[in-house]
Amino acid sequence: MSVTPTAMRPPVAADAPRTVAKRSSRSDWRRLWQAAPFVLPNLLGFLVFTAGPVLFSFAIAFTNWDLQRSVPFRWSGWENFSVLMADKDFWLYFANTVYFLLGMPVAIAGSLALALLLSQKLKGVVIYRTLFYLPSFTSGVALMILWKALYNPDFGPVNAVINSVSDFLHLGVKAPQWLLSTANLVGLDVEKVAFTGKQFGLGARDAIIIMGVWTAIGGSNMLLYLAALTNVPQELTEAAELDGATNWQVFRNVTWPQLAPTTFFIVVMSFIGGLQGGFEQARVMTNGGPAGTTTTLSYYIYNKAFEEFQIGYASAVSWVLFSIIFAVTVLNWKFGNKETTY
Amino acid sequence: MKAVFTGAFVILLLLSAMAWSILPKPVEAGKTQIIWASDDNPARRGQIDGFNKIATDAHVSLDPNNTGLQKVVVQSLAGVGPDVFDSGDGTLNVLIDADLAWDVTDELKKRGVDIEKDSWKAIQTYCVREGRVYGIPSNAAANALFINKTIFDQQGIPYPNGPWKWSEFLPIAQKMTIRDDKGRATQFGLLIDWWLWPQFVIQWGGRIYSEDGTKCVIDSPEAIAGIQFLHDLIYKYKVMPSPVEEAAMATQGGWGSGTITQFGEGQKAAMAMGGRWWLCTLRNKKQFPDLKMTVCEAPYFNRRVFYGYGRATFINKASPRREDALKFLLYMAGPNYNALINKQADALAPIIKYCYKPEVLFDPEFPEEDKNQVWLDAMRYAEPTPTSPFVNYQAAQRILTRQLDLVKNDQKLVPDALRDAAREVNAEIQKTIARNPSLKAKYDAILAKRPVATL
Repeated sequence: MSVTPTAMRPPVAADAPRTVAKRSSRSDWRRLWQAAPFVLPNLLGFLVFTAGPVLFSFAIAFTNWDLQRSVPFRWSGWENFSVLMADKDFWLYFANTVYFLLGMPVAIAGSLALALLLSQKLKGVVIYRTLFYLPSFTSGVALMILWKALYNPDFGPVNAVINSVSDFLHLGVKAPQWLLSTANLVGLDVEKVAFTGKQFGLGARDAIIIMGVWTAIGGSNMLLYLAALTNVPQELTEAAELDGATNWQVFRNVTWPQLAPTTFFIVVMSFIGGLQGGFEQARVMTNGGPAGTTTTLSYYIYNKAFEEFQIGYASAVSWVLFSIIFAVTVLNWKFGNKETTY
Repeated sequence: MKAVFTGAFVILLLLSAMAWSILPKPVEAGKTQIIWASDDNPARRGQIDGFNKIATDAHVSLDPNNTGLQKVVVQSLAGVGPDVFDSGDGTLNVLIDADLAWDVTDELKKRGVDIEKDSWKAIQTYCVREGRVYGIPSNAAANALFINKTIFDQQGIPYPNGPWKWSEFLPIAQKMTIRDDKGRATQFGLLIDWWLWPQFVIQWGGRIYSEDGTKCVIDSPEAIAGIQFLHDLIYKYKVMPSPVEEAAMATQGGWGSGTITQFGEGQKAAMAMGGRWWLCTLRNKKQFPDLKMTVCEAPYFNRRVFYGYGRATFINKASPRREDALKFLLYMAGPNYNALINKQADALAPIIKYCYKPEVLFDPEFPEEDKNQVWLDAMRYAEPTPTSPFVNYQAAQRILTRQLDLVKNDQKLVPDALRDAAREVNAEIQKTIARNPSLKAKYDAILAKRPVATL
């Protein structure tokens, strides 16, 4: 296979535009045929295993498709969506999903702080970077089981530390029951989307958020920030330092604006990941409990589709979730992207 | 670089050779392979071997990775399901409605097997609906109390004997519960898996669903009293661990973990409510070298009834090998399989007549198990898992679990939780029948037949 670079092609006479167009079109086709075997496996995989199912799920969201054949199949129009609007569980689990996003700013700030530390010229910095990245290439399920043990209310190390500190300082603080408790930091009610003082505290949702923040701080966000930090022009930093700027002023006025595109990307991806997430944690650590407080929309979709077999309804929930993610991404793009231009 | 790639290639080659060497051996020529999706209980392999030894033209292989209703239903509908599969609580309706379970009524009748007559009543709801048989019960369980003899001996209290009532049980359990200076329990009187809550509903005379299944009645005074007592065992009488204390005792993972190992590992609890199938784990002397145990009948309130449960095995209707799979089901109804279940203590054999044998009452290999009559009595008084054909079992379970979680965590009063549970399950029933016209017709027909006063 040989492809003639454009620069090496013979000059084209100005009076022969049609011939050139024909020849170029023929050569385009030839090049396409040559490239097709390389692209096709991936493209076919995408069409069959991604695009096809996505479109199929969109279609079945407008049906009552149930894996139990005693329910006759029919097109149900917008019925699934209107049922969903009145579905108490959907809103409860949506609230849980949104609640889990509370950890996002902390995780992003933590990743940035860690990246700033790891971008220093330290001895053995590569080892530190690897250590902090460890949670990202360790099995998620193993980590969740480990955290489940850490959160053990009586014998877990987390509460052991809390109790020791509380005893030492005579604070009289009662350690949280973590994965067994329905309490949460904003007092979200268990049975309806409302706030109540009774639920104020630390519970299963917060336990999962803390674990998520721990995992995310040393994860791909940190790597992205590390890469972005190496791209901050050294001359800008040096100029600011020569002008007498403090470290904070250099960070605030030079480094941070330069990191804006990366931050924007991380925020968008974190929103998408956060809204889609929660399934593994619920499945491994809590079974969605206690009392459904760690059930997120993704776990609800699984339950509806594969435990209650309402595939049509589950697809409708999936598409509503997609719409929410899409809307949030558009909003992010509209308002967050402004910072990225200079 | 060349050396690195060559090295990597050689390593991959070695790994491949290793993988090939541990591949399951192909089935003997002339034998049809039957895939059985079931859990990896250590007893299961013995049950399979029993069949494979006598079968001349079929070979059963276990597939423990594809168990669970979700996987069976989805894979079967996609045409790649197992030939034979197990299913548990409340799933029969789904299997029939999804057209997955082969109706074997006539096949079994032709071969002289009458499941309705021969098997324990309490587990027939797992495989029989409206007189049609869709599978064979693979074992049968009802709970009794495991007694830690060492703890009883230390306290100088004689081992209890049933039948007995909860009121007789309580003082003993309270004596057996020991707490340290900080109020932390070092030993509990009783361990119960929370999922056994239906036993308390039925013993107090309550029901989860009305007899015809059209309504959830878990908010009846009887059901409330039963669940209240279960709650009180934790929070009022303090003989059972709270969720926090339970988590502190928790062990991690594997078949037969949880309450069984908590009971088996030393001095954590004097008594534990469990089925005979616990013995599959507790017989392991390496794991529990110091455990000395016996059993007695579980206490009751005003009805001497126990929650019956088990598993049933079904043939995939779409399996091209279903005639061969039927041989495996017939083996499960026969003497060899039933004797093996009793011998292995994988609960009790599903066919009653094979349970009343001298070797079941006393097996010289396990002389400590000298009270096996208790299991037979418990099974005789067992009642089936309450279900309704008008609601998806999993959907109802999700609602009930949510409310009962709040009760277990002492975050909601029992009457409030059960009232909300009943209301939500009844709303789910209405949603289900609205989706399914044939179910609605059945539901309406039942209501029409019912006397006006009960509507």
